[in-house]
Amino acid sequence: MSKLEINDLSFTYTGKRMILKNIQLQIQKGEWVAILGHNGSGKSTLAKCIVGLLEPQSGSVVVDDMVLSHKTAYEIRKKIGIVFQNPDNQFVGVTVRDDIAFGMENLGIPKDQMISSIDFYAEKVGVKEMLDKEPSTLSGGQKQRVAIAGILAMHTDVMVFDEATSMLDPYARNELMQYIQELHQEGMTILMITHDIEEALYADRIVVLKGGEVHLDASKEEALRQTERMTEAGLELPVSLRILNGVTNLDPSWKEYLWASTFDK
Amino acid sequence: MKNIVIGQFVPGSGFFYKLDPRTKIMAIIVLMVSLFLLKTMTQLLVALAIAVILLLIGKLSIVRIVKGLKPIFVLLIFTFFFQIFFNKTGALWLDQTMSLNWLSAGAIVLATVLWRVLARWKVGGILPFLIYLGLLYVSLSYLSYGSTWTSFQFQIYEKGVEMSVFVVIRLLIIITLSTVLTLTTKPTDLTMGMEKLLRPLKFIGINSEEFALIISISLRYIPTILDEANKIMLAQASRGADFSQGKLKEKVKQVISLLVPMFIIAFKRSEELADAMESRNFVPGKPRSRIYDLVFGMNDIVAFVISAGLLAAAITIQVI
Ligand SMILES: Nc1ncnc2c1ncn2[C@@H]1O[C@H](COP(=O)(O)OP(=O)(O)OP(=O)(O)O)[C@@H](O)[C@H]1O
Ligand SMILES: [Mg+2]
Repeated sequence: MSKLEINDLSFTYTGKRMILKNIQLQIQKGEWVAILGHNGSGKSTLAKCIVGLLEPQSGSVVVDDMVLSHKTAYEIRKKIGIVFQNPDNQFVGVTVRDDIAFGMENLGIPKDQMISSIDFYAEKVGVKEMLDKEPSTLSGGQKQRVAIAGILAMHTDVMVFDEATSMLDPYARNELMQYIQELHQEGMTILMITHDIEEALYADRIVVLKGGEVHLDASKEEALRQTERMTEAGLELPVSLRILNGVTNLDPSWKEYLWASTFDK
Repeated sequence: MKNIVIGQFVPGSGFFYKLDPRTKIMAIIVLMVSLFLLKTMTQLLVALAIAVILLLIGKLSIVRIVKGLKPIFVLLIFTFFFQIFFNKTGALWLDQTMSLNWLSAGAIVLATVLWRVLARWKVGGILPFLIYLGLLYVSLSYLSYGSTWTSFQFQIYEKGVEMSVFVVIRLLIIITLSTVLTLTTKPTDLTMGMEKLLRPLKFIGINSEEFALIISISLRYIPTILDEANKIMLAQASRGADFSQGKLKEKVKQVISLLVPMFIIAFKRSEELADAMESRNFVPGKPRSRIYDLVFGMNDIVAFVISAGLLAAAITIQVI
């Protein structure tokens, strides 16, 4: 049971400008949280703090009652995996098989177990036929799926996606979202960083960052009604939602119906 | 950029494919040492014959290997002429007075232009180059008109020719051997083999596992970086840069305009890669389990016996 808690976390790269300011978040097991924000709002910085790539100046990250520190980083990374934006810059292996194995090798998992895990998770993300292929022969979407398989094979139960779909074409993007939905249905906690509201529609809950602060933290339905708060953070709601939010003299039950159908992802 | 074939693994199933990478690396070192023990042309020709037999046993296409030699053709030519020009021992075979004057210089310029124009029409390769060299020889030796600017003796000695042939054949065999290695060994196996062979270096503080990881990551990024160079070149060509033409100064400018973005991207890349590795629990120096295991088989023993036998033969010949 992974519960992720971010307590009063602040971070600065230079010591001058605070990039994250007193971030307070509690993410329950199995939740799907979208973290939305304009360019430079601190989303990636937050993601790196969560997996211990950056050390905050104050505040803490707590996973299952374990406080993230140099000592616990290794244990915490067994629970939280992260997929980054650029498919090419996270592919470590010479082949797909190598790359899926990389994390398991680091954990010292025995060879036989690795082989069966690789088969299982490659099948799951649809790269089973490509195990011996080199990264230069794969598409961006395939590379991202390989990255997911490599993390799944480490048996994490939280997955952070830092704009993991932003370099993909619409088709590959949809495909990847399908896989993520499947993972979510199997109980994986999903933290999806994006500046694309369409993508946030998949989430249960939306957290909006603005200038390094939590600007809005609400259920998806709640958040999407707040056109103004979103605009303040430099985010633009899809046209359909803006129209719906703008219509005031509509029968409430009708409005509910239209809302529900918009969210029918 | 696309025709760099040195070090390319090609899937197959001959004898060499069944060998452990460690065996192949060791055998190649042993064979190279043997090769450098050889002193006479006859011995070298025997070695060449053995190399060809080995290729045939391994069911490797000789055509493929020869094609793989293309990129180092210039190196071979250079080695050849270097020996011919600078080795002045043995009987004098050729002593030709050469002179540079209006006519010969004009002929050389004409020949060069012709050769380059042909190359541009894709009539490149060895034959036009040899004809070009022949034209140079004839022009310098026999054409003379007006005042002579400068003249010199072009001399070829017996030993010079012999050495140059000897050195070129030896180089050919060495390159063939290493091509066999890279042609029949997956990059992962190659680095794994090196990792295991270099393990004893731990005593002098070198971690062979990290070394192998560095090599395999470099291998993995070569195509990506070439691809990137291509993209940057295209982008710059679309803005009017022409990488095949221009004065030297222009060319230097263009190369810099290619290198600067490539370095910037490479730095960003390495940082992101380091993050990705760390987030997947990579800790430098910490023992890792490995997905690949290397095991010696019957074939390896055969290969060891053959290469040790050849080394023993080379040593014996020198001692007798
Ligand atoms: N290594 C660094 N050193 C100094 N400043 C940095 C560094 N990385 C990011 N920043 C700054 O921190 C701020 C937040 O960056 P961050 O990458 O977290 O934003 P983001 O929300 O992920 O943006 P994007 O949508 O562009 O990915 C930016 O103003 C950026 O310039
Ligand atoms: Mg970012």
